[in-house]
Amino acid sequence: MFHKVLIANRGEIAVRVNRACHGLGVQTVAIYSQADKDAMHVSEADEAYCVGPGPAARSYLDVANIVSTALATRCEAVHPGYGFLAENARFAEICGDHGLVFIGPRPPVIGAMGDKATAKRIMKEAGVATTPGSDILESVQKARDAAKRIGYPVLLKATAGGGGKGMRVVERPEDLDRAFASATAEAEASFKDGRIYMEKLLIHPRHVEVQVLADEHGTVVHLGERDCSIQKPSHQKLIEETPAPNLATKLRSALHDMAVKACKSVGYTNAGTLEFLVAGDRAYFMEMNTRIQVEHPVTEMVYGIDIVKEQIRIASGERLGYTQRDVQPRGHAIECRINAEDPQNNFAPGAGAVTGVAFPDGPGVRVDTHVYDGASVPPYYDSLLAKVVAFGDTRSAAIERMEGALRQTVIEGVRTTTAECLEILQTREFRDGTYDVGFLPAFMTGAAAASQAHG
Amino acid sequence: MSSPSDGIAARVRALAEFLVENDLQSVSIERSDESFEVARVPAAPAVPIAVVGPAAVRVDQIVADRVGIFHLTRPVPFAGEVLDGDRELAYVEQLGIRNPIRNRGAGRVTAILQRDGDVVDYGRALFEIERS
Repeated sequence: MFHKVLIANRGEIAVRVNRACHGLGVQTVAIYSQADKDAMHVSEADEAYCVGPGPAARSYLDVANIVSTALATRCEAVHPGYGFLAENARFAEICGDHGLVFIGPRPPVIGAMGDKATAKRIMKEAGVATTPGSDILESVQKARDAAKRIGYPVLLKATAGGGGKGMRVVERPEDLDRAFASATAEAEASFKDGRIYMEKLLIHPRHVEVQVLADEHGTVVHLGERDCSIQKPSHQKLIEETPAPNLATKLRSALHDMAVKACKSVGYTNAGTLEFLVAGDRAYFMEMNTRIQVEHPVTEMVYGIDIVKEQIRIASGERLGYTQRDVQPRGHAIECRINAEDPQNNFAPGAGAVTGVAFPDGPGVRVDTHVYDGASVPPYYDSLLAKVVAFGDTRSAAIERMEGALRQTVIEGVRTTTAECLEILQTREFRDGTYDVGFLPAFMTGAAAASQAHG
Repeated sequence: MSSPSDGIAARVRALAEFLVENDLQSVSIERSDESFEVARVPAAPAVPIAVVGPAAVRVDQIVADRVGIFHLTRPVPFAGEVLDGDRELAYVEQLGIRNPIRNRGAGRVTAILQRDGDVVDYGRALFEIERS
């Protein structure tokens, strides 16, 4: 095991990693920006060093300062958390060049999985289903052939695309010719590159992801799936749960199997998550996150495994010490993200000092947070303040516990997502577990319309 | 200006260098091959002790902008030293790169706040310089 680890992050995940290290008897070095000097992750670490001013580009992303801190303080490994440098293959490589263990997969694997096109190709080769699509379509005839093969509805996309420019939804064959012409023209006008390709359009899919753990000795296990379909219009997740409700047993096992197979085929190591879009009885690989994820606690609650400790153990060369047969889920867990955001204003992030902080506790309730009474929320970073997690033997017991937990959650001084999370839990779609990625945007539009009607 | 003679300054500097080279932190240095006068030089640069001068007009803090290991540059600056030109007082070693720390204009060194070999982080105060 390592003697000392540098935690290259801030916020709740830095606090989480710090406690995992201490739990393993590992000393910690925190880094912080000038805006975070009074942050919880700084006071809880054994040592802490300022790496730059508030803006992340000059602090939490300053590779030279971070690596230098690790070396000067004689750390042996670096835990990147999520966000910032967590999926930066170059950073992982630089750590390795300086004799530091990067707690994550090997740099080439991060690099390959970080590029969506490469990741999709690798997955396809490994026999994992990806969203059906075409190569560049040189003519409208090629587009017609592709659409016939893929099946309507389809999406035409500009290869140079972005911001919806050069993108067209085509629902029927008779609309294809015109859509192809206008998408090509728009792409040419917007990007000076009119090349178009086609993808199958999934209507209101569910976002289901599979957690994996792989040691450096060839053992790969999955820790089930999480449903993360409650997403903001920006596709950021707000509520996650495991197991995914109303997922056919056959599809659930297929997802688990695909995830393990994919990891084995790329020689994946450490913790990772494969994200899939599920439409009807089909699942399509979307992308892989080669790091710990925000929503990992729900998996920990039902599997009884500390994923962050496992990451550190794996990186130090230890064996998992168990196989798939040994890991059994129990019960149901839900996570609600309490963000410093205004849901009524398109989830615009807020900043300032938080006061009157109170968090829930009791059996089956867990809160991961870095926030305390009087803590400041700098404007530079992710708006996540706390993750409230509730466990129950059944889904309805977990929901009930979560409702109680959210009612006990108090954060004043900034607008948060607490009330909206509670409202979402009470909708029929959430109760029935029939929501998809279209749910939250529609819910927010409906809420806005209702509040206007009541004027 | 009626400042100490150059000879004393050189001896103080030599003592400072001796301290730094031997990683000594105490001011009570005794060397048989030096005279008592040198050993008792009041400006003994047992960093980070500041020598407070007369009422300062303005004291600038020179801070680190890179994280790394702090090293004093030779000739080693000492508390009380008067600097006229711009020179490198120290450097922060980061991943094998030497990031110089300069006095940025004339003044008198009133404090050396870090020891040679210390880990210094962003914004860490390294020197105090009194500008006249």
